[in-house]
Amino acid sequence: MDPDAVAKAFVDHYYSTFDSNRAGLANLYQDGSMLTFEGQKILGSQNIVAKLVGLPFQQCQHNITTVDCQPSGAGGVLVFVSGTLQLAGEQHALKFSQMFHLMPTAQGSFYVLNDIFRLNYT
Amino acid sequence: MEEQIDLVGKAFVDHYYHLFDNDRPALSSLYQPSSMLTFEGQKIQGVEDITAKLNQLPFDQCRHVVSTIDSQPSSFTGGIVVFVSGSLQLPGEEHHLRFSQMFHLIPVPQGNFFVQNDMFRLNYG
Repeated sequence: MDPDAVAKAFVDHYYSTFDSNRAGLANLYQDGSMLTFEGQKILGSQNIVAKLVGLPFQQCQHNITTVDCQPSGAGGVLVFVSGTLQLAGEQHALKFSQMFHLMPTAQGSFYVLNDIFRLNYT
Repeated sequence: MEEQIDLVGKAFVDHYYHLFDNDRPALSSLYQPSSMLTFEGQKIQGVEDITAKLNQLPFDQCRHVVSTIDSQPSSFTGGIVVFVSGSLQLPGEEHHLRFSQMFHLIPVPQGNFFVQNDMFRLNYG
């Protein structure tokens, strides 16, 4: 398993899905997955997807600036992302940081066990 | 009401940056040979190399001011992921540097934690 390759593939897939078909994120989370979104804690794929689909914007575009990754020692991959989030109609893009802890599935892919998102205010 | 995991995350963060800002060599107590640090994209492995990197950063004094701490359990074996944002003040510098950092903490038999994974990035405005 090459953590860099896993991280890059995951990041590309995650944000393109987020930006084009947010409900499609459901198969990246499982019942035990955790999301902390701007300090709000959400547990489980259904609740997580409901939160993301319910965010107060229809369209967005994530532009990724940095991706760092390391094997987590639990068979997983930790991914640390920074970038900007462009909302339709907004002049200024929002800066964000996000971390994912990816765990392997039986089928040979990865799901998100831990997800923490924070906007970076200047 | 704060959960146990939040209390552990906060206690660790307070301790880590207190050591960093007051006794940087003592950070070696928080890393082990298996530890990994990615510092502004540079990958460093093991307590010795990590401590050397942190001790050699181009400033003698600094102060971390933490804005946010988010913690979650990372696995069945008691690990915790901690996600921090804040600012880094260097003496003589007018503007603070903003940063984000994530830690993956693994418990040790003595009841505290070591840093298995550490990733640091400055947030340029």
